[in-house]
Order: sequence, then C-alpha cells, then structure tokens
Amino acid sequence: MRTTARITVLLGVFIGLFGMLGMRLWFVQIAEGAVAAEVTDTQAWITISTPAPRGDIYDGRGNLLATSRFVPVVEVDRHLVERDQAENLLRRLSSLLAIPEAEIAELYEDAGVNGVFEIAAVDSVDAYQINEQLRDFPGVRIKRVPQRINLVGGSMAHVLGHLGLPTELDLEERPDLDPNTRVGKLGVERIYDEWLQGTPGELAYRVQRAQITEQRPEVSPVPGNSVHLTLDLPVQEVVERALAEGIELSNEWKAEQRRQGREGAQNVTERGAVVVLDVRTGAISAMSSYPSFDPGVFVGGLDAGTFSALNESGALRNLAVSGLYPPASTFKAVTYMTILEEDVPLPASVEGVDAASRVVNCDGRLELAGLSDGSPQVFTDWYYPNIKGWLDLGGAFEQSCNIYFWSAALGMYQAWDETPRETALQDMARDLGYGSQTGIDLTGDAAGIVPDRELFVQWQQQQLEDPDAPRLLDAARLETSDPWFGGDLMNAAIGQGSLVATPLQVAVSYAAMVNGGTVWEPYVVDQIRDSDDQLVFGNSPTVANRVGLDPEHVRSFLTDLNRVVTRGTAASSFSDFGASLSEVGGKTGTGQSIATADNHAWFVGVVGISDPRYVVAVLIDEGGSGGAVAAPVARQIMQYLQGEELTPITAGAAAQ
Amino acid sequence: MATLTSPGSIAVDDRRANRPDLTLVGLQVLLSALGLMMIYSATRFALERAEEFPTFTVERQAIFVTAGLIALYLVSLIDYREYETMIPILYGVTLLGLAAVFLFDPVNGAQRWIPLQWFNLQPAEFAKVTVILTVGYVLALGTREDEPLRWKKVIQSGGLMLVPFVMVLIEPDLGTAMVFPFLWIVMLFAAGATWKQLSTILVSAFAALAAVWRAGLLEEHQLDRITVFIDPTIDPQGIGFQLRQSKLAIGSGQLFGKGLFEGTQTNFSYVPDQETDFIFTAVGEQLGFVGGIVVLALFSLIVWRLIMIALSARDRFGSLLAAGTAAMIVFHVFVNIGMTIGIAPVTGLPLPFLSMGGSFYLATSIAFGICNSVYLRRTPVPGERYRNRTR
Repeated sequence: MRTTARITVLLGVFIGLFGMLGMRLWFVQIAEGAVAAEVTDTQAWITISTPAPRGDIYDGRGNLLATSRFVPVVEVDRHLVERDQAENLLRRLSSLLAIPEAEIAELYEDAGVNGVFEIAAVDSVDAYQINEQLRDFPGVRIKRVPQRINLVGGSMAHVLGHLGLPTELDLEERPDLDPNTRVGKLGVERIYDEWLQGTPGELAYRVQRAQITEQRPEVSPVPGNSVHLTLDLPVQEVVERALAEGIELSNEWKAEQRRQGREGAQNVTERGAVVVLDVRTGAISAMSSYPSFDPGVFVGGLDAGTFSALNESGALRNLAVSGLYPPASTFKAVTYMTILEEDVPLPASVEGVDAASRVVNCDGRLELAGLSDGSPQVFTDWYYPNIKGWLDLGGAFEQSCNIYFWSAALGMYQAWDETPRETALQDMARDLGYGSQTGIDLTGDAAGIVPDRELFVQWQQQQLEDPDAPRLLDAARLETSDPWFGGDLMNAAIGQGSLVATPLQVAVSYAAMVNGGTVWEPYVVDQIRDSDDQLVFGNSPTVANRVGLDPEHVRSFLTDLNRVVTRGTAASSFSDFGASLSEVGGKTGTGQSIATADNHAWFVGVVGISDPRYVVAVLIDEGGSGGAVAAPVARQIMQYLQGEELTPITAGAAAQ
Repeated sequence: MATLTSPGSIAVDDRRANRPDLTLVGLQVLLSALGLMMIYSATRFALERAEEFPTFTVERQAIFVTAGLIALYLVSLIDYREYETMIPILYGVTLLGLAAVFLFDPVNGAQRWIPLQWFNLQPAEFAKVTVILTVGYVLALGTREDEPLRWKKVIQSGGLMLVPFVMVLIEPDLGTAMVFPFLWIVMLFAAGATWKQLSTILVSAFAALAAVWRAGLLEEHQLDRITVFIDPTIDPQGIGFQLRQSKLAIGSGQLFGKGLFEGTQTNFSYVPDQETDFIFTAVGEQLGFVGGIVVLALFSLIVWRLIMIALSARDRFGSLLAAGTAAMIVFHVFVNIGMTIGIAPVTGLPLPFLSMGGSFYLATSIAFGICNSVYLRRTPVPGERYRNRTR
C-alpha cells in the first residue's frame, strides 16, 4: 500500500476513535446526564438537619411523664469560616465555653473543610452572651436542639427507658438513622423509637467562597408522636413506694431471723419487682423493678465509669420482665388447675395419702418407698415439725402444703409416666405462658424454663458433648439413660427445680386462671397520637392463647385464693386489709435461690374475687419469706386498688 | 515571512508554499484559550482559599501558551530536513534529560520531573517529539515507497523507541511510556510496514505484556488503575472516587452545560486533578455535550490538518513527522477524554492545549512547529540546493 493511502486510512481510524468518544459522551451526558445532574445538585447543597423533638410520653390518665425541652447548642459551620479567622475563632470559643482550645481545634479539624459540628450544650444565659459576642463571627450560631426531659425522675424508669447514641448494630438495622441522634435504649423509648423519633427538619443552602449564595425554604421538624401508656401514675407511685418499703422490711426481717439464729438470711436484700396487670385486657397498670435509675443521667451522655457502675448494680435490668426466678409455691396454682382440669389421680399405697377421698395428711413428712433407685426417701415439708392435718386440694392450697402437691405429681408420674399425658402439668404451664416470651412491648422479655423429660435428655446430650459448658444437670444424671426422675416432676409441681419464670409470666398466668382462661399478651402502650393529637396507633388487647378452663374450677380457684388471705399462709399479712377482704386473694411463694441460702419471696395477689380485675405479682429477690415479706407489700398495693385505707407494711407470719 | 530566514530557500514563485498552516495555528490558539478559561474556573476558588491570587495558575499557563506559540514560530523557521544531521544530538540530549530525573527526589513516588526555577520540566514530554523525529528519520532514510519496509528498519526504529520507553517506564509513568510504542506502530504503518511485520510486533508485545503481568513487575498503582477502570466500584475513595466524580461532573453538564464558571463540581474541587489530567470534566460540566463535541471537532480538525500536511509533504520524512504528530494528539485525546468518561484507564496523560502544565504544551507546540515546517516546504522551490537523501 502506498504511503498516501495508508495515511488516509489513519485519518479515518483517528476520526473513528474521536467518534467513539463522542458516542460515549452522548451516553454519559444525554442518556445518563439527568441522573448525574441530580446527584451533583445534592452535592452542591449543604444540608443542616434540625433535630425533631421526641414525642411525649403520658400515663393512662394523661399525666405527662417525659417530654422534650429545647436547649441551646453552639454549632460551627466551617463553610462560613474564613481561613484567617479560624484561629481567632477557636480561641474566643475556648474562653467563652471554658473548653480547652485543643479540644475545639480537634473537633474543627475532624469536621473537615466542608463540615458542620456541634461543640457544647450551654445554658440560656451563656447562649445569650455567646450570641452577643460572636456577632462578628460568621459560621458560629446558637442552635436550639431538643433534649429529653423526664418529669417523673426514676419512676417507671424501666418501662420508659433511656436514650443514647445509636450503636453500630442500630445503624446497621436502620441505615437512615442519623448517628448523632439519640435513640431509645430500653423500654418504651426503644420499642417505640421510630414512633417517638419524629422527622428532622432541614435547612439547605449553597455556599460559595464562604458566602451563602442561595437558600431553600426551611423545612420545620415534625415532632415525634406522643405515646400514651397503660400505666397509671398513682398506682405506680404506690407500687414503687411499697416495693422500696418491702426491701427495707426484708432486711429488718432477716436481721430478726439472724437474731433468732435461723438459717437462710445472710445477704442484704437489694432487688425486687412488682407487676400490676389488668386481667381483663393484659394491660400493665404498674410495673416496677428495684433498684431503679434516673433516665435523666443519660441525657448529657454518660462516662464509662458511671455507666458500668449503673450496669453492675443491675439497675438497668427490668426484673419484672427479665428476672428469672423459681416461681415456688405460687406455681401451685398451675398444679392446682392441672389437678382439677386433668382429674389427676393421687398415688395409691403411699402412707398418708387417701387416693379415694383425695385427701392427704399434711404432717410435714412424706415417706416414699423409693423412686428410681428403690431406696426409701423422705420429703420434709416447710412447716415441719408442725402439722396441718388431713387436707383436700383447697386446704392444701390455702396452707401451701407441699405434700399434697408432691403426691399429685407422684400420682401423675405413676399413672402417666412415658405416656402422652406425662407432661400434663408442663402442658398446662406452657399453655398459661410459662417457658415462652410474653410478647410484651418492652425490652428484655425473658422466656423462662419449663422442664420435662425431653429438655433433660437434651441437656444431658449437650453436656456430654461439651463437658466445659455451664452445668445444667448434676453429674449423677449424666450417667443414666433417662435423666428425668419422678422427683423432678414433684419439684416442678411446687415451682422448684429447674422451673424458672419472670414475675410478669406469673402475673399473666394468674390473670388467665382467674379470667376463665384467656392468656393475654401484656402491653404497656395504649395508644400513639401524632403532634396534632390525632390517633395514629391504638393498641387493643391481644390474646396469646386461650385455655379452656371449667368455670367451676375457676370459681373454686378464686375461693381458695381468698382462703389464703383469710385463713391461710398470708392471713397474718392481710389481717388489717379492710372491709373488702373477701374481694381479694392470692398465693404466697418462697423460692429456693440456687446461688445462696436466702429464699426469694413471692406473693401473687388477685383483686376482685367476684369479678377479677387485677393481678399483683410481687417478687423480692432473696427477700426471705413470701408470707412475711412479699405478702404485706402486695397487700398495700391491693388495698390501694380496692380503695381501702393503706396500712403499714409490717412482717407477716413466715410461710411458703 | 518564514522563508526570508529559511536557509537555502529563495522561493518567490510559489507563494502558497510560503504560507504556514494558519488553520492549525488557529485551532491551537482556540483550544488554548478554552483551556485557560477552564483552568481558571477549576482553580480560582481553591486559590482563594489558599490566599493566593485566583488568576495565579491561569497566568502561569498563559505564559506557557505564549512561550509555546513563540516556540512554534521559531521551530517552523527551521527546515525539518536539517534535523537529519541533528537527530543523534537531539536523541542523546533527550536520553540525558530522561536520566536526569533520577537525580531528584521522588514526588508522589515517581521521578518524572527536573525542578527548575519556576516550573518542573518533564523530559518525557519532549522525548515524544524526539521519538517522532528519530523513528521518522530511520523509516524514511534510504527506503522507497514502492518497496516493502525491511525488517532491519523495523528493528532499528523499534530499538531507538524502546530506550526512552523503558526509561519512562521506570520513572514510573506507564501512561506516558505507552505513547512511544503507539507512535512507533502508527509510523511503521504509515511507512509501509507489511501486515506480517505489524502482526508479529503486536503478538510479541502481548506476549511481553503477559510475561510482565505474570512476573508481577507492574506497580500496585498501575494495576489499580487498570482494575478500577474495569470495575470502578472496587475503590470508591481512591481512583474509583476520581472516576465517579469525573463521570458525575461531565454527566451533570447534560446538553448545554451549566454555563462557564457555573460548574458546581469542577469549580468547587469535587474532582481531583480537575485542572490537569481531568480538565475535560470542567469542559463537560460547564459547556455540556455541545461543548464536548466542539472540543472533539476542534481536535478532529487538527488531526485532519496534520494528515493533510502528511499527504502534501514533499518527502517521506515530512509525511512521517506529521503522521507521528497526529498519532500523538490522537493518543492523548482518546486516552485522556476516554478516562474521564470511563472508557480508558486512568493515566497521567494531559489533554493537548487544555490541561494545565508547561512541558507537554511546549512539546506539542514544537511538534506543531515541525509540522508547519513540513507544510512550508511541501513543494520544491526552483534552484533549491538541498540534497534529498530520502527520495
């Protein structure tokens, strides 16, 4: 090919390459240009987010519990700071705010060339002064930002919850979250965070050469929705006071026990919980966990030391929904209901048990020929060496006679072992909500444990596979082919052994047993209203499960609950209840703490024997005695709910 | 004008032969003026922030433009055939310059510059012109148009190209180095290399490239630039960020652009290197698709003029010089604009006449001066005494 021809070819190739560029340019600028223009347009604007005030929280009567107030904050916008003024500005801010210059300089550098940052919250007097003095400083402004303020102090702290900066996990779950906005960490503040959060406002402007050249109309923030709780502030106040007094009473009672040389009263009582539940809806009327905390301390951010001290004290735990305890004798109610509903036979040929008449001799000792290993065993009841005499089911419930319920468990074991009915008691417990989360709209909803053969076999396998895992069963059971013994069912029947439940679960189960079998999903939020007071979310009672209970059994259960407070284990604590004593009932419980010798004190009260209204569950962690310590606390709360005059919380007679 | 001082030229008969290619010069002036506006738009705010005069860079560039045009004029006065004797000297000086960069401290990990009083001289840019001259000379010397190119010529010219190529490669400056083989291939093609020769070269080049790749001789940042070009999402903050911002800025210009000095991206430094290698982003954003097409059209006209010079040259040497210069312009324009819109890897190749910088501006002006010299002497002047060795 001749040179001229080749050079002409080159011209064609070169222009062809430019043609390719032109086509690509068409694609980038025309086909995709609009999208790019949109992106660059947003890049050119500086958007300042105005935080929205968090929604208010009210109690069921409309009392304001938590709200937001505006506090002044110093904000610096580096776009508007001229280079030569930066150093001067930092010096002035440092002296005005009494913050080391290096600290502000660090914030300034971290914000980057195009950054906006907040320095500090100041009080209004300081804010005014700064405003006056910084008039000549462009780029510095006083911004009013909303801050959570809790009007009831530490009251309802575990239900209300507190705020904090979002964790990385929070940001992962909610990518649109502003990392500088505080979010709920606990309780209602957390569960209903998205309702309470509100929509931040927006101020957008374009800056060129440290001057604002263009500004968009400001979008005002929309305050968060207000949350109305089911809780009743007056009831809550009574509950909190009664619980605090109960803790005090427990320590006095333990001191007295020690003086008398009795065992099981070594530790200082420092924890407890109360739940007041509406049996007709599952709404929580009051809930308290002791010790409590003031959510207000989290507002300004908390240093690590204070936080870990608070965390270690357990004050952040809501024991009412998260605390797992053996329900002890309060669980006899479930066994009681199982005996009636399932027509449980009492064991034949056991001394002191009359299977035909369904009565048991509560003489303090139950001697058995032997369970799995055949050796004779003696079970000693809590009141031994006293005797309660021959009792039927109602009498045994009233006196909290373990022998009766042990016998019933033995009856189940003998009659139904390894048949589908062997778990009749556990099935009833599960139906009533034990062993699974209640579904309450709060954080820390614990499930608890309902033990049975299946679970024990599973634990056995787990432990054999991994000997280093925390021990779930004692060593002897690892060697047997069947780790589930008759004694385990006997333990379960009196709410001991591996059975654990939260005060809330116990309250929910009692509510179901007195309302005819409706297991509610408990809730604390009644409704949510927007900033114009329009209803945006209305909670309604939710049925978690329905247990078909014979109305006659429900009736006799209510009668026997009343007998506990009139003649039974809680009678001494209820002697000064008032005229409507016939309208209340309950069950004491004293649970063996696994960790220490000190017993957990329980009382589950029912208000409204003829027409049940409330369940009041009181737990005092290592409180000592249900009858002596927990019952008086519940009694005072129930007095308030019944409209009786409140009488002082003093120790009742010790009973399980 | 030019002919008055041109040695050995006493032409008075052929007036056309004496007129320089004013279209080519005019195109250069147009593009340079556009470049000054773009550089101003892309640097004034950054300069203000740094408390410098906002016109500092644009004034500096204006000096380069002036110097370039003067160089163009002076070079066009020299008869290009005179280089035949000067080539060994030019080649030697170029190699010395390329070696001299290694005497100075690296900047951003590369030794590419000789720091002078008020600008950094980049010998590799001038080496492009030297390679055009040298390869053109070897391919034109003693060859005939009606004969196929001999292997000896291919190997000679290839060897002379490879020395500066390797020196620039180890600076390191992969982008600039790649210009040399491109010029060589295009000039071989123009000089009548056979298809067999061309395909042998391409195959061995790919084999060498594969060997280098396997041996891991490429620097990490060079690999990055190639891999990011293939998938820009892998490094959104580094080169990927630059690419993304560049494409966004150009794309946002849409049909007519945001208007001169109205580019939000390029005026506020959203695109790294927007005044040098990424100057086309300022064009695309502010002047839009229309402006981009105008720039491409201006470059097409330049290429057309250079090819016309190549076709009208009186000898093979002149043809190859103009064709090589056209190849240099095309390579720079294609790779530079291509990288800003995502169809070529990110390299440090400037956009001719538009990008801020002195060395390449001067080198291009010199190359254009040589082409003008070819144009001025396209027809033999009666009574000319110059011996014609290449025909």
